[in-house]
Amino acid sequence: MATTTLDPRADTYGRSWVLDWLTTVDHKKIGILYIVNSFIFFFAAGILALVIRSELAVPGLQFVDVETYNQAFTMHGTIMIFLFVVPVLSGFGNYIVPLQIGAPDMAFPRINALSFWLLPLGGLLIFSGYLFGGAAAEGWTGYAPLAAERFSPGVGTDLWIIGLTLVGTASILGAVNFIATIFKMRAPGMTLFRMPIFVWTMLVTAVLILLATPVLAGGLIALFIDRNYGGSFFDPSVGGNPILWQHIFWFFGHPEVYIVILPAMGVVSEIIPVFSRKPLFGYKAFVFATIAIGLLSFSVWAHHMFTTGQVLLPFFAFMTTLIGIPTGVKMFNWLATMWRGKITLATPMLFAIGFLAMFLIGGISGVMLGQPPIDFHLQDTYFVVAHLHYVFFGGSVFGVFAAAYYWFPKMTGRMLNEPLGKVHFWLHFIGFNLTFFPHHQLGLSGMPRRIADYSPDAGWTILNLISTVGAFMIAVSVLPFLINVVASLINGEPAGDDPWEGNTLEWATTSPPPPYNFDRLPPIHSERPLFYLTHGHGHAVAAGREHEVEEAEEGADEDVAGDVEKREGLV
Amino acid sequence: MPHPGARSRARSIVSAGAPLLVVLLLGGCLLPPDPKTEAGQDVFNLYVVVLAFAAVVFVGVEGFIVYAIVRYRRQPGDNTLPEQHHGNTKVEILWTAIPSVIVLVLFIMSIITLGSVEARSDEPGVTIEVTAKQWTWDFSYPEGVTISGRSGEPTELPVPVGEPIRIVLHSADVNHAFFVPQFLIKRDAIDMGENASPNEIEFVVTEAGTYAGQCAEFCGIGHKDMIFVVNAMPRADYDAHMAALAASETPPPAAGGEDCATTIALAAEESIRFDTDSIEAPEDEDFCIELTNNDIVEHNVGIDEIGFYGENVAPGESITYVIPAMEAGEYTFLCTLHPQAMVGVLTVTE
Amino acid sequence: MTTRTATADPHTGHVTAHGQSAMPTALLGMLLFIASEVMFFGGLFATYFNARASAAGEWGPPAGAHELDIVLAGVLTAVLIASSFTMQFGVWAIRRGNIGQLRLWTGITLILGVAFLLGQLYDYSTLGFGLADGVFGTTFYTLTGFHGAHVFGGTVGLTILLARAMRGQFSARNHVAVEAVSMYWHFVDVVWIAVFSTIYLLR
Repeated sequence: MATTTLDPRADTYGRSWVLDWLTTVDHKKIGILYIVNSFIFFFAAGILALVIRSELAVPGLQFVDVETYNQAFTMHGTIMIFLFVVPVLSGFGNYIVPLQIGAPDMAFPRINALSFWLLPLGGLLIFSGYLFGGAAAEGWTGYAPLAAERFSPGVGTDLWIIGLTLVGTASILGAVNFIATIFKMRAPGMTLFRMPIFVWTMLVTAVLILLATPVLAGGLIALFIDRNYGGSFFDPSVGGNPILWQHIFWFFGHPEVYIVILPAMGVVSEIIPVFSRKPLFGYKAFVFATIAIGLLSFSVWAHHMFTTGQVLLPFFAFMTTLIGIPTGVKMFNWLATMWRGKITLATPMLFAIGFLAMFLIGGISGVMLGQPPIDFHLQDTYFVVAHLHYVFFGGSVFGVFAAAYYWFPKMTGRMLNEPLGKVHFWLHFIGFNLTFFPHHQLGLSGMPRRIADYSPDAGWTILNLISTVGAFMIAVSVLPFLINVVASLINGEPAGDDPWEGNTLEWATTSPPPPYNFDRLPPIHSERPLFYLTHGHGHAVAAGREHEVEEAEEGADEDVAGDVEKREGLV
Repeated sequence: MPHPGARSRARSIVSAGAPLLVVLLLGGCLLPPDPKTEAGQDVFNLYVVVLAFAAVVFVGVEGFIVYAIVRYRRQPGDNTLPEQHHGNTKVEILWTAIPSVIVLVLFIMSIITLGSVEARSDEPGVTIEVTAKQWTWDFSYPEGVTISGRSGEPTELPVPVGEPIRIVLHSADVNHAFFVPQFLIKRDAIDMGENASPNEIEFVVTEAGTYAGQCAEFCGIGHKDMIFVVNAMPRADYDAHMAALAASETPPPAAGGEDCATTIALAAEESIRFDTDSIEAPEDEDFCIELTNNDIVEHNVGIDEIGFYGENVAPGESITYVIPAMEAGEYTFLCTLHPQAMVGVLTVTE
Repeated sequence: MTTRTATADPHTGHVTAHGQSAMPTALLGMLLFIASEVMFFGGLFATYFNARASAAGEWGPPAGAHELDIVLAGVLTAVLIASSFTMQFGVWAIRRGNIGQLRLWTGITLILGVAFLLGQLYDYSTLGFGLADGVFGTTFYTLTGFHGAHVFGGTVGLTILLARAMRGQFSARNHVAVEAVSMYWHFVDVVWIAVFSTIYLLR
């Protein structure tokens, strides 16, 4: 196993640590900046969620007026998606991807720093609407014509547009960086089909960001032109088309869902094998399923628009149901990985299993919503709220916490406290289900989204009250996590290089890794280089897999041959 | 053979899963409301089949997860490796095929149901032109009756039972959606400009009764107040009801601004607001309010305390309301279409 | 079975003895950036075609305004296409190590780019309708305007390239920046051909 004697802070030469973090181009520090920044926005948007749930706990307007409520759910959705879930996963990607492919850094370290720093800037711009007469209040989807200047004259909406454009630019630059890193910086022997699944999911995610986000940027600019320069993209009275906004938004918005869920699937696919002491079942099938989901994500956007009456229902319904197939394959692969394994229920594994259990519900409700006749009833009700939270929260956020518990020892050199982690998980898991499971029934019985109040006669009161209790339980569950992080940083058990008996290269270096990550890399002959370093190749042979190892070897040789051709072609 | 200690672990997992079960039960039976239209019944039936598939998948997968973590838990001190399965092509093909078949069956069933939901009769019993606007509904009937509501109060939508009702959905401003939960149907009302025809839906109500409906597409601060109620009744009752409504449509009162000793100028400005939030009037004498509508949607003036509600003014026009004499005090004046944003204080002074 | 080992150079951050393709990383980055730009313009084109498809009757500048000047636009198109050739001559020159010719061709390309921008500004000043005059005006100015902004960005890149070439910073072996800027410039050219065909020819 590779070890190093380099001090992780050897390159700072006594500079102030503040300046050091502000100007760093080290992918690990930038990754941590991403994660810390994202969690700050997570707490801010979480407080907004509590405002929403408090107001809805019982009928009547008790705490905020309707305008404040509308701003709260708009900011909650925008911040959670664009400034928490996407960037926090980028943060883990930033830290982990170079380590997992045996690279010393990202391909473009300075662009990496730029794409991080655009995030807090964009986020503060979005939030600054509160200082200028009110934040945006059209929902995170910003539908035209409601978002047009005539119906939403406040400057908050303009700040929302500008902020989102900056955040989008940041993620495009980040995506360029990830793709270039994965294609150009892999260590010798790290062929594409030996890359850890997390790297694969980050690669597909980056491609989705690269191709989907610019379309949103174009739409946001068009909306800005409409609002400020008299444009008429979305104004039907002068030939514009209000449906066009929905097409643009969801052409971006549906790939965005996979941008958010694929890296979390990658995290889970790293954790389940390690804590089951088995390889991921069907590695290649998993890779192809990831690619299939990525491709399909560009042809399903209009399933968000079934009730507009302006889309071809059978086509989009068909493409949508197709997504259930690769997703189902992934689910079976995870289950088969656990089957006959030796399972340890450490906190990362708990969150990973929580992901499976909760994302399943989000997937099932997604297939239901994909059927147009059912969608006619459920569209824009709390059923959709339940569905999207089972995907974003039950899926992605469980993945984020799984990643946090799994890689914290690598990032800090300290273990997190297990009992506190388990308290966090169970509070979080129960609170989450209390909050969002009742939303299914609320939606089925007809409660629309985005209403600040409801009639006491509607029969929605008890379920709303349960949901609000659950929301506060989620808020409380964050406390053991925060205490755990702070206490472990100060006085945690030292982690060592490889506390979990990991499979992948990040565990082959020190915790935290030195500035350029590795002094020496172990040989890479499979997607589990560290496993074979520890246990030897006998296990591959025992499992009747020698041919696969050989195949991978041949693949590497083909790669080199291909390189020579490309080099000749270019010069 | 279960490992020793597996039973106590199973118990701990069951006790931990119990809260989830409670939530499931409290969540109700996960069914839509009892459908009150023919097409709604088809959607309901489709939903039940899909829910059955969902339940099988849910129980199967969650059950396997629980089984796996109980059955295959690593024992303390056990450092042996399990057999290292890397995959199995036959199994992979099988479990690609299973979801493929499920989603294909679901797709075919939902397309069949879609046909019945989207079916249109040649001659509907009634065609109602619905105009959704921030934040009220207008229902226009072929008999010449238009029912306009006040924001925050359910606007009545009378329909006959047992015959096809066609709803043509217009929007005067932003996107809205017509939604009646007990009909299991929803469709957006969008201003498409001149170049596209408005959305239409059709349904046959199967049972007389009143069914609550409301706007389902977020449309601003009055979104929650865009409520209506479908009043379904037998054809004979419906005809009588509509005749009564037609008779009660009063001609607009003649503008009598010239007779007023006091005329208060009030303007409705763009983006749904009055130009002022306080006006003054003298005590114990009739006075006039002249409302100029500079906005792009209709407005009016109402005073709840004395039950005065003026008629709507079209964009770009003005009207003079004669207000009966009032006692000194503070009153609230508002636009009944937009009470969320257009409200002010009327001070009647001695 | 072969065993390759690698060492990371802590100064450049490059892993030596790579097994990966030979395209310079910076060039791959530019290619990826262009891919995102393709999607950006794709979105703008989609809005244009959407507006055009749903427009009732005549599609074009609002009544009373001047017709589009297709002759001027054709000349500008020729200028921009020519600049793509001159750019490529510069790239070929530096691949042979001829930095003098690189300076010459980069200078000419820059002049042609600026000429295009000035011509477009002149065109705008004569049209007599604006961004706010109906959906044609909005889509016309957005498409051509964003293309113009990209040409402007290209001229900034060309200026930097020229300055570096004047200082002799490129050679046959070391000229990734020249390749990257030329790739971008060709892309901007191709976008213009699409804009010209869409707005002027497909009327």
